Amino acid sequence: MSLPSSPGSRPWTFYVLAAFFTLFVIFLYGPMISVLVLSFQGPNASLVFPLRDPSTMWFDELFNPRRTGDVVGAFDRSLPLALIVMVLTVLISVTAGFAFRRRFLGASLIFYTAIASLIVPGLVLSIGILVTFKYLLGQSAAWYTSALGAHLSWALPFGLLIMFAILGRLNPSYEEAAYDLGASRWQTVKSVVVPIVFPGVIAVALFGFTLSYDEFPRSWLTVGPKNTLPLEIWTMTTNVTSPALYALGTVTTIVSFLVIILALGSILIIQRKRSR
Amino acid sequence: MKKTGEILDKVISRRAVLKGGAVAAASTVIGAPTVWAQTIKDITLNHTGMSYSVLADIGRQAQKDLGFKIEMSVVDHPGLLNRMANDPNSIDICDMEIWQSKVLVPQDVLHGIEVSKIKAWGDLTPLYTEGTFAGKEVSREGDSPIKFIYREAKDTAGFAKSKTDFVNFVPSVFNADTLGIRPDLTGRPITSWADLISPDFKGKAAIQNVPTNGIMDAMMAFEAAGILKYADKGNPTQEELGATIGKLIELKKGGHFRALWSTFDESINLMASGEVVIQSMWSPAVTAVQTQGIKCTYQPLKEGYRGWGNGLGIVSHVDGIKLDAAYEYLNWYNSGWVGGFIAKQGYYSANPKTAKAALSDNERGFFYEGKPATADITSPTGQKTNSAGDVRDGGSFEERFSKVAVWNNLMDQAEYLYAKWNEFNAA
Amino acid sequence: MTKKTAASYLQVAPLTLVLAMFFVVPIALVVVVSFFRYQMLVGIVRTFTLKNYIDLLSSPTTWALYLSTVKFTLIVLVLTFVIGFWIAYFLVFHVRNLVVAIGLFLLCTIPFWTSNIIRMISWRPILGKEGLINNALIHTGIIDQPLNWLLYSDFSVVVAYVHLFTMFMIVPIFNSMARIDKSLLEAAIDAGANRWGVVWNVVLPLCKTGIALGALFVVTLVMGDFFVVTVMSGGLSGSATSGIFNDLQILNYPRAAANAVLLLIIVLLIAAAIFRLVDVRKELVR
Repeated sequence: MSLPSSPGSRPWTFYVLAAFFTLFVIFLYGPMISVLVLSFQGPNASLVFPLRDPSTMWFDELFNPRRTGDVVGAFDRSLPLALIVMVLTVLISVTAGFAFRRRFLGASLIFYTAIASLIVPGLVLSIGILVTFKYLLGQSAAWYTSALGAHLSWALPFGLLIMFAILGRLNPSYEEAAYDLGASRWQTVKSVVVPIVFPGVIAVALFGFTLSYDEFPRSWLTVGPKNTLPLEIWTMTTNVTSPALYALGTVTTIVSFLVIILALGSILIIQRKRSR
Repeated sequence: MKKTGEILDKVISRRAVLKGGAVAAASTVIGAPTVWAQTIKDITLNHTGMSYSVLADIGRQAQKDLGFKIEMSVVDHPGLLNRMANDPNSIDICDMEIWQSKVLVPQDVLHGIEVSKIKAWGDLTPLYTEGTFAGKEVSREGDSPIKFIYREAKDTAGFAKSKTDFVNFVPSVFNADTLGIRPDLTGRPITSWADLISPDFKGKAAIQNVPTNGIMDAMMAFEAAGILKYADKGNPTQEELGATIGKLIELKKGGHFRALWSTFDESINLMASGEVVIQSMWSPAVTAVQTQGIKCTYQPLKEGYRGWGNGLGIVSHVDGIKLDAAYEYLNWYNSGWVGGFIAKQGYYSANPKTAKAALSDNERGFFYEGKPATADITSPTGQKTNSAGDVRDGGSFEERFSKVAVWNNLMDQAEYLYAKWNEFNAA
Repeated sequence: MTKKTAASYLQVAPLTLVLAMFFVVPIALVVVVSFFRYQMLVGIVRTFTLKNYIDLLSSPTTWALYLSTVKFTLIVLVLTFVIGFWIAYFLVFHVRNLVVAIGLFLLCTIPFWTSNIIRMISWRPILGKEGLINNALIHTGIIDQPLNWLLYSDFSVVVAYVHLFTMFMIVPIFNSMARIDKSLLEAAIDAGANRWGVVWNVVLPLCKTGIALGALFVVTLVMGDFFVVTVMSGGLSGSATSGIFNDLQILNYPRAAANAVLLLIIVLLIAAAIFRLVDVRKELVR
């Protein structure tokens, strides 16, 4: 019997799991594909099948909105917000993760506060933050202050917990061994800590970005006068919704594909250069 | 140095205010939207409200006509109340439903608007300003506009019992709601609210998941069917609410409702996809189904309509030249363009005179006078909604509004209602 | 204070600061408000009362909603775990090329960049009465009446949850699985273990941290949701938080706050139970 990942012929489990994986991908993409098809409709469009008079007008509507919401404007706020949340989540949760590797007074308190912050109903926190801004800070809500904080209150615990899973594998004896071998602090970090922590950092970044980019309840009252994307989409569904929403889904999917193909392509190129 | 700069700024801005004020006064005399002094161009008014009335096109047109910036922000109903209660400074013009003013006015977050500064006040529909329509008193069941529009004095945040010179909001858009049906699928004529709960439509009916509106539709239906009786549907007692929710739960358990819709868009899809053949609906939703080429009727019913209306309030923090701009905007709002635009969406403007003038003969006949269309009728975005020969469901403006039976409202027992509605959701 | 503890405090300071300002203070206000009373048209009346809690705890509606939420949570937890575990297992142990594995992993994440709302409504053209599935089944003659339970039902709620939240299970499990030393598996097989035994005795215990975290994420997301359940059930089901949303519609903060505190306590208890089974911090501190 061969190990699944060892070279040679593939075990039968490979085929079963490959089939399972394919089914899962179909499940994930099925609705996305119907969105893709239904975004190419004419003016008398409906949000369900059948497709009515194919056209690309809803993509035009998306970028030059007349009746639908200001998707582009909302995106111009959501993207920077998500990027800021992503960067802060990585920085703050990575440093905090290292702190928890040692015992210190209050560690449990901070840990459970973070868990509670993850769990609290977003709508309620949204109001709590708005009230805090009004009475304690005398500030109006805005996406780059109150909403940023609201998003961090939820992205950070996610990031912290993932860091726990990562750092649990980083045995302090590795670092000690590096020191014993005469490595400087920086060398140790670079050659021992970074390779182990890096994939986790990617996961934290991924979560940080997605959690903010898609957050509705915590944004509800904290964004101030200008909506972020999920709120704009929500208010669009409270009015005459059009396939512009589907067009948005299509554009998002295609752009993500391009980004990921680019990223994978550059990894491949770097790998090839290295192997030379 | 810094101090001198500050003082200079103050002097300059004061002058600007005086100058702006003079122009504003002049514009009232001339009557048309005027080109303002340079400084007014720097003003940005934030107009916040719900999606059905806060439309990007309105802001764009206002900006063109008035010369200063109008920023339209769309929120949901609870979003507006919560934002106004906790962060009113982020909003300048509050576009609220009448029943929302009931919550917001006592919070003292709105200006008392001076009636004398509202041009054409006398032309505004008496539905709001007098509580009458076509010479008759309109229904007082529910939150009828007349009960909430006036306040005693400029600085008293409350509701006056009779007409005064100060209002909490300027009337804007309004309509009368009824049931939407798929005439091709109901298989029989629909004449009464009772049809909403008729066993004929088991599994094919829907109501709104907005407690304050959903309960009104339910009460209309149960009363029409002779199942329950209400002393005042605009202000039911706990017993009446309890009985109504009890009946609703019975219906839900029996599989009567295919769904409860929470968003406008859901109501369109339920109808367009044939999941539902009879449900409470909003007028533009019916139009949206029609534009998909599907037969959908906004069915007038013998018990009458459920009316609703919006008003524009000025938020307290607005002052100086910005306040002048706000008044100018409110005057522009009822000066015709908006009226013509929203008519095509199926709503009515508080100033029928200017709204009618903004429509073509064909459109005026169709939307206001109950006449058959003489040519195609199009939506504000230019899509065809009706063909020549079609008559608007519910007939003329007069006919429709003489039959408003009850108004959207926030009843005294709302807290109890919301707890009970939760029970309905959980059942 | 030793130099090392000082470093810890320094490292945890930014986190603590953010949590204090954007969680502790706002929630402290919420907790205070939960002991006040709400009066229509007046607002919050600042007199101490336990009424909100007594009303909530004595109402059968509260328990019915919690029961339904817990039911959804358990179903979704089981489904996302089974899917998440095997997807991660496939990517880590069966795909030989790392770049391919990363590529496939990212393939699973792409739909997560699209708004949740769009992803939810995109199920309608598939599950609806005139949707793709019903049409296909009718065309092939398997059924002659459309299946109504596909949409606006518990089924569609679960489908949407799994669609939206499986990612939160895959990522932590994938992370801890990728860290398993493959020579361990070889050793186990050399020792005569069968494939199933390796999964059960080696892989599963080694990624229990990832599983625990994934479970915590999914529990949190489902227990705190009102949006998915409302949209996908067509408003026919509620959740523990849907009452909160209803109360916020009329500014009834006290009752909403009490409800939030109750939910917070219950989910914290569940979290504590998960950490009792798998102490994610134990492996960290040495």
